[in-house]
Amino acid sequence: MGRLRQKGKAGAAKAYITRTQAVKKLQCSLADFRRLCILKGIFPREPRNRKKANKGSSAPTSFYYSKDIAFIAHEPVLRKLREHKAFAKKLSRALGRGEWSSAKSLEDNKPVYHLDHIIKERYPTFIDAVRDIDDALCMIFLFSSLPSNARIPPSLIENCSRLAAEWQLYVMHTQALRKVFLSIKGVYYQAEILDQTVTWLVPYQFTQSIPTDVDVRVMLTFLELYQTLLGFVFFKLYTDAQLIYPPPLDMKKYEAGASVGAFSLQDTSQITPAAPKTKQVEVEGKTISTKHVRTAIKNITASETTEDELPLPLPTSQVDVDEEFVLHESKSGSHDAAALPTLHSLSTLPQATSAHLFAPYTFWLSRETSRGIFEFLVRCFGGRTGWPSSSGSGSPFDEQDDSITHVIIDRPLANKAQESVEERDRRLRRKYVQPQWVVDCINAGKILLEGPYAQGQTLPPHLSPFGELAGAYEPSKSLGEDIPMETVEEEEEVEEEEEEGLVEDEEGADEDVAAGGAERRTTVAVNIDDPTSLRAAELAAEAAGMDYGSFTKEIGKSRKKGKSTDKNVHDPEQDMNKMMMSNKQRKLYERMKHGERKRATERTKLEEKKRVLDKAARRKVQKT
Amino acid sequence: MAVTEAKKSSKKRKQIHEEPVVQVEEVSQDVGLQMLSDEEGEDEDIASDDGEVDEFPEINVESDSDEEDEEDEEDEGDEDEEDEENEDDEEEDASDDDLGIFPKAKTIISDITGQPKLVYPEIEPDYDSDSSTEDDPNRTGNVPMHWYDDMPHIGYDMNGKKVFRPARGDELDKFLDTVEDPSSWTTAFDKSAQTDKPLTAEELDIIRRLQAGENPDANYNPYEPTVEWFTGKGKEELMPLSAAPEPKRRWVPSKWEKKKVMKIVRAIRQGRIVPAKPKSTQPQFYSIWSTPTDDLHPAPLPAPKPRLPTNAESYNPPPEYLPTDDERKEWETQDKEDREREFLPQKYGALRLVPAYGEFIRERFSRQLDLYLAPRIQRMRLQIDPNSLIPKLPSPSSLKPFPNHKALKFVHAKGRVRCLSISPDGGWVVSGDEDGVVSLWEVIVGREVKRWKYEGKIGALEWCPRTDVSFFVVGVEDHLHFVVPPNLPSPVLALTQSLLAPATLPPAPATPSPVKWSSNHSVDPSLEQPILTLSLPPSTGVPKQITWHRRGDYLASVSSGEGQGGVWIHQLSKRHSQAPFKKIRGAVQLVLFHPTKPHFFVATQRYVRLYNLAEQKLLKTLMPGIKWISSMDVHPSGDHVIVGGYDRKLCWFDLELSDKPYKILRYHTRALRSLQFHPTYPLFASSSDDGSIQVFHARVYNDLMTDPLIVPLKILRGHEVSDGLGVLEVKWCSRQPWLVSAGADGNVAVWCS
Repeated sequence: MGRLRQKGKAGAAKAYITRTQAVKKLQCSLADFRRLCILKGIFPREPRNRKKANKGSSAPTSFYYSKDIAFIAHEPVLRKLREHKAFAKKLSRALGRGEWSSAKSLEDNKPVYHLDHIIKERYPTFIDAVRDIDDALCMIFLFSSLPSNARIPPSLIENCSRLAAEWQLYVMHTQALRKVFLSIKGVYYQAEILDQTVTWLVPYQFTQSIPTDVDVRVMLTFLELYQTLLGFVFFKLYTDAQLIYPPPLDMKKYEAGASVGAFSLQDTSQITPAAPKTKQVEVEGKTISTKHVRTAIKNITASETTEDELPLPLPTSQVDVDEEFVLHESKSGSHDAAALPTLHSLSTLPQATSAHLFAPYTFWLSRETSRGIFEFLVRCFGGRTGWPSSSGSGSPFDEQDDSITHVIIDRPLANKAQESVEERDRRLRRKYVQPQWVVDCINAGKILLEGPYAQGQTLPPHLSPFGELAGAYEPSKSLGEDIPMETVEEEEEVEEEEEEGLVEDEEGADEDVAAGGAERRTTVAVNIDDPTSLRAAELAAEAAGMDYGSFTKEIGKSRKKGKSTDKNVHDPEQDMNKMMMSNKQRKLYERMKHGERKRATERTKLEEKKRVLDKAARRKVQKT
Repeated sequence: MAVTEAKKSSKKRKQIHEEPVVQVEEVSQDVGLQMLSDEEGEDEDIASDDGEVDEFPEINVESDSDEEDEEDEEDEGDEDEEDEENEDDEEEDASDDDLGIFPKAKTIISDITGQPKLVYPEIEPDYDSDSSTEDDPNRTGNVPMHWYDDMPHIGYDMNGKKVFRPARGDELDKFLDTVEDPSSWTTAFDKSAQTDKPLTAEELDIIRRLQAGENPDANYNPYEPTVEWFTGKGKEELMPLSAAPEPKRRWVPSKWEKKKVMKIVRAIRQGRIVPAKPKSTQPQFYSIWSTPTDDLHPAPLPAPKPRLPTNAESYNPPPEYLPTDDERKEWETQDKEDREREFLPQKYGALRLVPAYGEFIRERFSRQLDLYLAPRIQRMRLQIDPNSLIPKLPSPSSLKPFPNHKALKFVHAKGRVRCLSISPDGGWVVSGDEDGVVSLWEVIVGREVKRWKYEGKIGALEWCPRTDVSFFVVGVEDHLHFVVPPNLPSPVLALTQSLLAPATLPPAPATPSPVKWSSNHSVDPSLEQPILTLSLPPSTGVPKQITWHRRGDYLASVSSGEGQGGVWIHQLSKRHSQAPFKKIRGAVQLVLFHPTKPHFFVATQRYVRLYNLAEQKLLKTLMPGIKWISSMDVHPSGDHVIVGGYDRKLCWFDLELSDKPYKILRYHTRALRSLQFHPTYPLFASSSDDGSIQVFHARVYNDLMTDPLIVPLKILRGHEVSDGLGVLEVKWCSRQPWLVSAGADGNVAVWCS
């Protein structure tokens, strides 16, 4: 007979500890415990069997690892917290007795804790830290835009805004920004730092008020940690980039509202303040001559000849060129929706993120656009920006500058009755685009046509560059792929019933396909799922004189057929085989199927809506 | 006239006027009396009440002249009233009101101290000096006044004359007084005079002071200058209180203090105490990752990142993402926790129109709560096709033959078909319904050859498995009837007759059985009469199952009645019946003979027990985990048993393996009714109350290591569900892969491959 085992001395009962027990063991208050958990990154665990972990009780409690708690028990911060408690008592006693001098000396020797060792402990390597700065950045950017109050001192907000500016400076300097998304919550940015994607969300510039049900103490504790973390991370990033950290701050500029511009980057190699790197870009931008721009444009157009890429706007382009361009744009307006998704789909293939996307251009931010966002975006991609004095000082050039190629404007078109010849000339020389153009260009990795984004135009939809979940509805794919083909066909049938004249040409195309012959069918009948063979089939079809639309239609049909036959063959057998599954497997299967079904309904719902909308739009066009 | 005039004129200050009047009269009575009390006035009132009630308010405020005339006679005390009215005042006006009660004090300069002091008039030790004893005309003393309640008088005056009770009006008068007399609210009831008396100005002043929380004495000055008796100028205390000499410690420096100070001084000199400690010169941030970590702890797992935004979150999404009104309403009515998305997609025409996101801070906060409060579990995300979970089984088309279509249908006109049996050669079917009809028909064409009619419902039917004889057993109402089908070849008929109704009965067994065997020798097989009838003991109920041993000599019957489980084993050759179990736990549902061994399966409601009949002992108890067993069958090899239950489960037992089921299948949507293995093909079928029959391929390997292969082949539908009952019995044809099923809808169907 082995040794008698006492209950609760081993296993889950020993490995887990409830929160109350933990607080008792640490001999601190619940608030201090919470602070420690936040700082040390300790979170509750879910025991495999709650009853075993809680000595047979099934009361709802949160469990921590006993070892985690033992680990915090030796934490210097905990000691400091205890010291602080004693200090607070001493101070209040001194104040109560009116012993001002001793209160002052106590205040001078106030215990302060440092989080350096916690940073090192939680992030043993630098990569670990970079991987985890998403939340920290979100909080820093949020607090930099909050108003100060009794809980949030102005010094804290100032520190947050300084950190935010330092981060933006670094991203601009290294040109690490990859994706931007204008959402209803704020602006999502994604940068790539040391091969880690860092995503952060910045709210739009409005005054936020903290809701009453939000515990500010928790947020401030997190912020405390995040400030320290970001300080160390930025120090490392800056020093690795041969820059001095913290970057010197020009107080005069800062007071005048130059925000990011108030900081200057200093190279560590030169002790004397050298020309900052970002400034160099600016200097380059200033010295860009029309010749440079032209050559750059030539290069770009040469690289992208086949596509319906825009003829890049010349900063010095003449009036007639501009008009021509506008005309062309209006012509392609009807195919607009068709053209854009193909651009998107093409851009997704080889993403050669051009870091100097905006290098040839000079932007003027009109006063209603958010300078904070667009100055950052443009400078990240090598462009130059200027802004009116109403959005802050420090603009490198004014509105009359001839180098301005684009004006980011977010106003409806105004009728300019009295404008001088000079003004008109200037207006025609520049492109007036809405802010979304900048973001879409960045996400597409190239300069898009300005036409759909021109001032006063209804903007094309702004899609998430982060993509959708697997299997979800993708609006950009909708015109080239199989499902929309079905929808188109169904729609055709419906429309045929309604009005026959509408679909004549499509009918013709269908007949053409039917007459065109079996060999096309055979070409189409290749393995559809294989993209290479699909491509080959497409080429063959093109050689046979088949247009792209009918080809895709054909593909869609065959795919549909294949699917339906597959279903017919497999379904009843599989249904019967399902009864041989074990209970566990069946549950898992049902869960997975449930998820699939849910996604599919979501998708079909969106497709249905899209179809209805398309139909309405087509009818509208027909009427007009 | 005078009365009314007076009442009209003396409105507010009536009381004040009354006072002097009283006093004046008083003065006239006893001259030299300075201290007037209320009683006097009251007395006067009482006195005047009787005679001329309205006499005293003769003097009006307006008629100053009259008053003044009278005032001339007054002494010094009464001047005050005049002063008050005339309102040309002296300093001492403040204390005017006190006149009647308190003796008046004079302020004079003291001859001795040279300071002003208050001097009160001397009290004359006169007989009249104590007003309290003298003034009251009622001399009853301090006795309860209710002693006089029944008397016309209320006491006696000084002379021993009765003081009569003053007239008191009724309630109406009192009320009228309160309405008409403006001073009524300043009157109070005088107990000794038994009447209401107006309060004097002094008394009212006292009341006012008490109400205000002041000292009731009007002369009291709370703000008199302090006199510093011991420390004031020229009054310092010159003499010490104690004669003890000054202690040394007051002027010699302390040794211990010096020691303590020197300790600090030494510490400062040695640099242990730095007076103004400079703030740490270390920069706030430094290269923390330049030194390698000393401990080898792995980095804690990074927190999961929040999901990246999708198109729906765009400020300008494609229009199909926008919610319809219904979706919007649904989203709004949902609880926050139930919402699939925490926001509704919105579309703005321009970036400048996008408002602040109200939930921003709350979302950040909830993220932080997740970070430090939510337990984290590492989940393995399965990246598999759900269809890969479905077991890969051979295709049913490769496992042919099996029944897959309904070949023909035989209809029982009324009543559900409860039971059916197929002849061992597979050519004939007998089916019995609840109406008592037993039909014999051909499997291939479905033509009815003969019909028998019994009283009561048919509980069970079973054909004898022997091929040299041909008959079947029908279980009806405590009886088992042995019936010979018509048109038998003569040798078979003869053998059957000799078996069932032998000319010479075998010797009776030692222990007589309660089951009666009665043969009918003269029966013509074409007649309805059974050739042999077994009468089970009365009230055993309808035999619900009959099962034959494979040799055809024994048959077992299970009756639905209570007691002993109703299980009987009958032996044809000995014409003997016996109950195998004296006592059995649970209600027996089914029994079966083992196909090869002398074993006997008994299924009670929850368990299946396997007995060895030869050794008469329990071998095994199978635990299918079914709540109520409905059906059971043994594989022809004898090593596998399937058990079906009313709770829709089918359990496959490998007898070699375990007492627990090897496989549990649950595919029928209603209760399982019947199960059977095909005697030759690797098939089995189950029928259920959902009206469907499921056909399985069940291959059993001789190799003990290989698990039996069960493949679902076909779901046969065609029976209708009536009253919640579907297909009640399925039986296989022994030589073909054909299935015959009896439904509650009165149909018997033949399913062919």
